Amino acid sequence: MESSRVDRDDAAAQLAALRNDRKVLADRAMQPWWYDALLGTCVFVLLGAQALDDPVATVVGCLLGVAGLRWLVSTYRRLTGTWVNGFRDGRTRKAIAVWLVLYALVVVPAFVLHLGYGQHWAMAVAGAVLGFSIAVISRWWSRIHIAELREGL
Amino acid sequence: MTAVEPRFDAVVHAPPRLQICGLLAAVDTMEFAAVRDHVGVSDSVLSKHVKQLDEAGYVKVGKATIASRQRTSLSLTRAGRAAFAAHVAELRRITEGL
Repeated sequence: MESSRVDRDDAAAQLAALRNDRKVLADRAMQPWWYDALLGTCVFVLLGAQALDDPVATVVGCLLGVAGLRWLVSTYRRLTGTWVNGFRDGRTRKAIAVWLVLYALVVVPAFVLHLGYGQHWAMAVAGAVLGFSIAVISRWWSRIHIAELREGL
Repeated sequence: MTAVEPRFDAVVHAPPRLQICGLLAAVDTMEFAAVRDHVGVSDSVLSKHVKQLDEAGYVKVGKATIASRQRTSLSLTRAGRAAFAAHVAELRRITEGL
């Protein structure tokens, strides 16, 4: 059997090295605070732009929000050299689940008020609530991910 | 959680490749330069091992131009993740009782 070429000590050393590599990755995985602040700002701009009366301003706001999100992704990649899908399997799913539920609970009533009753301010409030929420949830997600990396394989 | 069948994988086993797979298994994609710095090898040595992993269908090499610079990123394929998980399970089996 091929695995007979690996003795117990070698196998243990290789597993320890793999765990150590994950710890090194964990040390570099937490994004700077401004990343989350800008992420929240982009979400606020994207949703808050719906509250503007001028359609051109709404489109510009949406484009700015999307451009900001794209810039954040490329900046994160440049800073850490890595990218991890937010919807990955694992314990980070609970942070994503909280975000999706919160998003639905806030955005649906806001759109009803905005489109059905002409209460455009609702989208600005929804943007502010969800912008703050995504900033907090993003850090929570990263803490869970880092804990998983530190736990090893 | 599905149990992984332990299986020694000669492609994954070589120390630089095991480390490369270990890094890539923890992320979705990793820049070539970041892998090189972690592993501590030259570009050419890393390229050689990436090529072997690529030929085995374990690694996908992506190229993109970001801020007018060509960037190469690496990611494990589904087969690569499965092979790495099975190899780690085999290492665990070997060390059982230690």
